[in-house]
Amino acid sequence: MTLAEGMRGKGGASAKAASPGTALLVLPACLLVLGLLIGPMLLMFRISLNQFSPTQLMIEAFSFGNYARAAADPYYQEIILTTLGMALLCTALTLVIAFPAAYWLGRLQSRWKSLVVIATLFPLLVGNVVRSAGWMALFTREGLINTALLKAHLIGEPLTLMYTPKAVVFGIIAVVLPYMILTIASVIESIPRDLEDAAANLGASGFSQFWRVILPLSAPGVAAGSILVFVLCMNTYATAVLLGGPRFKMMAPAIFDQFVRGNNWPMGATLAFMLLAVTMSFTIFGSIAFARRYRAR
Amino acid sequence: MPASLFAPLTERPSLNRVLLRTLVVIAYLIIFAPVTMIVVTSFFSQEIVSFPPTALTWRWYVNAWDKPEFFRGLLTSLQIALIAAAIGVPIGTAAALAIVRGEFPGKQAISALLLAPLAVPGVVAGSGLYMFYVLAENALDRDIKATTEGLVAAHVLLTIPWTVRLVVASLQGLDRAAEEAAANLGASPFTVFRRITLPMMRPGIVAAAMFSFIQSFENLDLSLLLVGPGRITLPVAMLNYLEFRIDPTLAAVATVQILIVGVLMVVTDRFVKLSRVV
Repeated sequence: MTLAEGMRGKGGASAKAASPGTALLVLPACLLVLGLLIGPMLLMFRISLNQFSPTQLMIEAFSFGNYARAAADPYYQEIILTTLGMALLCTALTLVIAFPAAYWLGRLQSRWKSLVVIATLFPLLVGNVVRSAGWMALFTREGLINTALLKAHLIGEPLTLMYTPKAVVFGIIAVVLPYMILTIASVIESIPRDLEDAAANLGASGFSQFWRVILPLSAPGVAAGSILVFVLCMNTYATAVLLGGPRFKMMAPAIFDQFVRGNNWPMGATLAFMLLAVTMSFTIFGSIAFARRYRAR
Repeated sequence: MPASLFAPLTERPSLNRVLLRTLVVIAYLIIFAPVTMIVVTSFFSQEIVSFPPTALTWRWYVNAWDKPEFFRGLLTSLQIALIAAAIGVPIGTAAALAIVRGEFPGKQAISALLLAPLAVPGVVAGSGLYMFYVLAENALDRDIKATTEGLVAAHVLLTIPWTVRLVVASLQGLDRAAEEAAANLGASPFTVFRRITLPMMRPGIVAAAMFSFIQSFENLDLSLLLVGPGRITLPVAMLNYLEFRIDPTLAAVATVQILIVGVLMVVTDRFVKLSRVV
């Protein structure tokens, strides 16, 4: 979004003609991304067309056999379905949990506001490993949740929370919540308060102000946040490994295993390319939808 | 939380207000629970994380300092993040200048290319680099994987999109009148850049440097396949440890990481209002 605006701003800036050399400054960055990202991605696609052999590891080939296998083999099917299911579930739950907080943050007019924004941002920058470790301290047999429930005599036996999909859901939601809150809050900020007041004056209840005014107007934020969060959920690594345990498989850990434990480059490349294709199509779809929104303004 | 945070909502009907407050508190509890948990348990004296603490102690910080995997991991991560930011920020800043001020075809496509490292999943980009590095190692007969150079190259990739995004944002809000005035008064283009443009770009560059450093410092997904014996970054060292156990030593290491990120954010916020750049 920022980039698109930046380019629009260029029109005003060209009052003083830029020296032709300025354009060349973009080259080092382009070469870097081409060499270290696009090149390896093309290499990865080529390797995904090769064949795996337990003895020779990799045989040159040119077939989509690995893709067919990933789609047909129940082992890979389960990984793909688990990943998609987790991503959908976590995105939906995150949206529900994030919306009230986003509304509050978007409407907040206080000198503390920038502090709240920074506090929302801070856990994002701490990293997923640290946050997963925090959930582990809560979820173990001796952890805070079991201890508190036992002390309160709500349960007789400690609950098994660690290494369950439930734990992963909690972990993922905590990771992606700040993205959803900040994205939706920035849209809610731009909705004039007068609209709510007008609805209230016309007799709308709190619920129908939310349902018929705020929610429809914040739809772009909801869409952008959901796409971003869905993609992040699909890519989950640390949370799935640490809270789901060794038998809980999502795409990213499965890709890692293909390279490290199986030494199976073709299959690893195939799964990686499939994950890339799904997440990229969502991201591109999202940015096209955004571009349209900005043009309409 | 101070009551003033809720001030704008006082005119709402009270049931809605209470419901909204409760939901906001739940959301922020979920966000902060894990981070708070780690900091708190790092001071518990018992060996296994359990509640309530029998006593409080600093001992685990000493213990963590003595564990080579964490100490070396911390040094490795700091070193790589510093070098990656030192390389990536100037390159990204140059690209941002070209995008805002230069004239060239395909600007939209090139912008998308420079933001691509954000859109590619870390494990996928890491897998691609891993195969690329191994094949290059075989061809060149030298180590690339698990070297500082190999990790820095990968992490520079992380710094480019953040730098381009933040510096473009700071450039577009820039008033060119001061530059034109300087040029009219006889300053050479280089002087104009050094004395006028660069200082005005400073908030964007400082924010870019901080984000680049933190992105590299806390990165796990991209680095997973690129580390190796002797060259393990702190997040990977923590992950390996956590696959066996969670104990107060690990909590102490994690608290140190939280502290480093926190201090960086506070320091940066003095230069640039973070809530405005993000």
